[in-house]
Amino acid sequence: MNLLTHDQLMAWLDRLAQETTLIAPRTVDGIVLYRPVAGSDEVAFDYTRPKMSPKDVVFPATERILSIEKQGQDVSLSESSLENEQVVFGLRPCDAHGIAVFDGMFLEKEPVDWNYARRREVTTLIGVACPQMWEGCFCTSMGGAPDDASHVDVLLTAVDGGYAVQATTDNGRVLIADLGLTEVNGEPAPAQTHDSVVPVLDQERWPAHFGDRYWELLAERCISCRLCAYVCPTCRCFDVRDEVAERRTEYARYDRLRCWDSCTGANYRLVAGGHNPRMLKGQRLRNRFFCKFFYVPEDYGVTGCVGCGRCIEVCPVNIDIAEMLYDVSASDQVEVAA
Amino acid sequence: MKDNGRHSPMRPFLGKLVGIKDLATDIKLFQIELMEPEGERAFANYQPGQFAFVSALGVGEAPFGITSVPSRGKALEFGINKLGGVTDAIHNLELGDVVGVRGPLGNWFPLNQPATDTGDIIKGKNIIVLGGGIGGAPLRPVINTILDNRGDYGHFTIFWAARNPSLLVFTDEYDTWRSAPDTQLHLTVDRGDDEWVSAGRNEGLITQLLEKVAPSPEDAVTITCGPPIMIRFVTLTLAKLGFSLDQMWTTLEARMHCGIGKCGRCNLGEKLICVDGPVFRQDHVAEFLESFV
Repeated sequence: MNLLTHDQLMAWLDRLAQETTLIAPRTVDGIVLYRPVAGSDEVAFDYTRPKMSPKDVVFPATERILSIEKQGQDVSLSESSLENEQVVFGLRPCDAHGIAVFDGMFLEKEPVDWNYARRREVTTLIGVACPQMWEGCFCTSMGGAPDDASHVDVLLTAVDGGYAVQATTDNGRVLIADLGLTEVNGEPAPAQTHDSVVPVLDQERWPAHFGDRYWELLAERCISCRLCAYVCPTCRCFDVRDEVAERRTEYARYDRLRCWDSCTGANYRLVAGGHNPRMLKGQRLRNRFFCKFFYVPEDYGVTGCVGCGRCIEVCPVNIDIAEMLYDVSASDQVEVAA
Repeated sequence: MKDNGRHSPMRPFLGKLVGIKDLATDIKLFQIELMEPEGERAFANYQPGQFAFVSALGVGEAPFGITSVPSRGKALEFGINKLGGVTDAIHNLELGDVVGVRGPLGNWFPLNQPATDTGDIIKGKNIIVLGGGIGGAPLRPVINTILDNRGDYGHFTIFWAARNPSLLVFTDEYDTWRSAPDTQLHLTVDRGDDEWVSAGRNEGLITQLLEKVAPSPEDAVTITCGPPIMIRFVTLTLAKLGFSLDQMWTTLEARMHCGIGKCGRCNLGEKLICVDGPVFRQDHVAEFLESFV
């Protein structure tokens, strides 16, 4: 394996922070978040998973997609300028998996999501393997692993004396080319995983459970707070609206913004005139789970959950996506047996 | 990574409001001429049933069925009901004001271009169009395409309905529709006013009128748009009259923010109304996991 010492890593991070926008786990008011850092001293190394997913690096919570300028009767439109290069360091493998799911949803079908594509193109991902799985997470049930290198450009795994470095893309190989890595014998030990695996129903079995009473019962305690969507590394729904940015006599500038949204909100599917085919909380919660395990797989060929466990952690009423997976699988077995 | 062109598909084309006409209570027809060559190219050959986003720039945008046909003139037309923030702002616009138009989006009724999913084409068939309220707007290009190519289709029957007479759209075009060869127009309103009733016109739901007229299902296709509840009951009534689901076409509405399969807003089960529709055949709608009603 190629070894990067702790001192080398610090120097590398400092250099990256100088040369590009470096985003890394950083402790902000006592919680760890993926945030821009000015140097290695701001990077948190002792963390499990940051509280929020890193999706805002490629899909900001609020993003200007258009500027509208009115000067008298003249109107002009302009799109956002080119993005700067950015490097995300310390990405957990599940979070990198989340970005791969976004790639599937936003880049695989024409037309591509223009703003996302432009950000994604200038984004390099440096993962840091989890030494173990954390409480509530289940990446191994979602095709991932705590030390999965599939969705990053470079993966670092903590070993004695520093980090084992593995570049998985050309971009990654270029990035580590001049780091002065030492070739040493041995490989990093595999990460500790949970013994249990959360059962995930086969894609084609989901429609049989669409009409289950389960969703209504599960949603009774849902308060439609939408936290699950906001912390989720794969929830991609967005809203678009215009806001006044500047207004003077004869001149006005407006921003067309897109903002994260969530299908569990009551008015999500409401149309002008008042019709709402998803009036009930049970219908909306069902939509969220079906989106992850049936709709997104059907439409984009990727599973819409990476097993990070964040939604379980933040849900104020203990709605647990892993528990849901157990429940649906159990009821499926009853059904298949009958 | 696929092509990421110079402009975002979320960028509208600029257009100028060149005509505003009252269609019904709180419903106006907006005529827009595109100001940019790129926009003109994009809208050179749009199909009946396709939709576009219209922006009241600075307030927002919303999707509307295009109610014009490209063969009748350069202006794009939209029948817009004043129902919320964006539509209020559009209704407040004046002639000459600049708007944004984004599209054309979605699939279409396969009148002369085959449907994208089934390859169906309904040329040569007897056509029955059923429109309810503002749902008539995306059907007007169907009607005008048939009238402009009358020889390409068989018997043509239009059922046109609204909650009351003041909500009937395109009233000044009825005489033209009626006078076309082998074309019938059947009007009804849920509740008539004095003038309507004393003239002995039809009162009641479109389904009641449909049952009374009872058009033949033979070699026919139906094209329906209206509120979801109307679409549902028209489907039931048509089935009663012997139509099979694969003879029935409809267009579904949904709240949307992108129109290009990204924002997630318009899904019905795994279907996205914006890119899988908005036009669907009823046998496919019947198989949807999630109900549109």
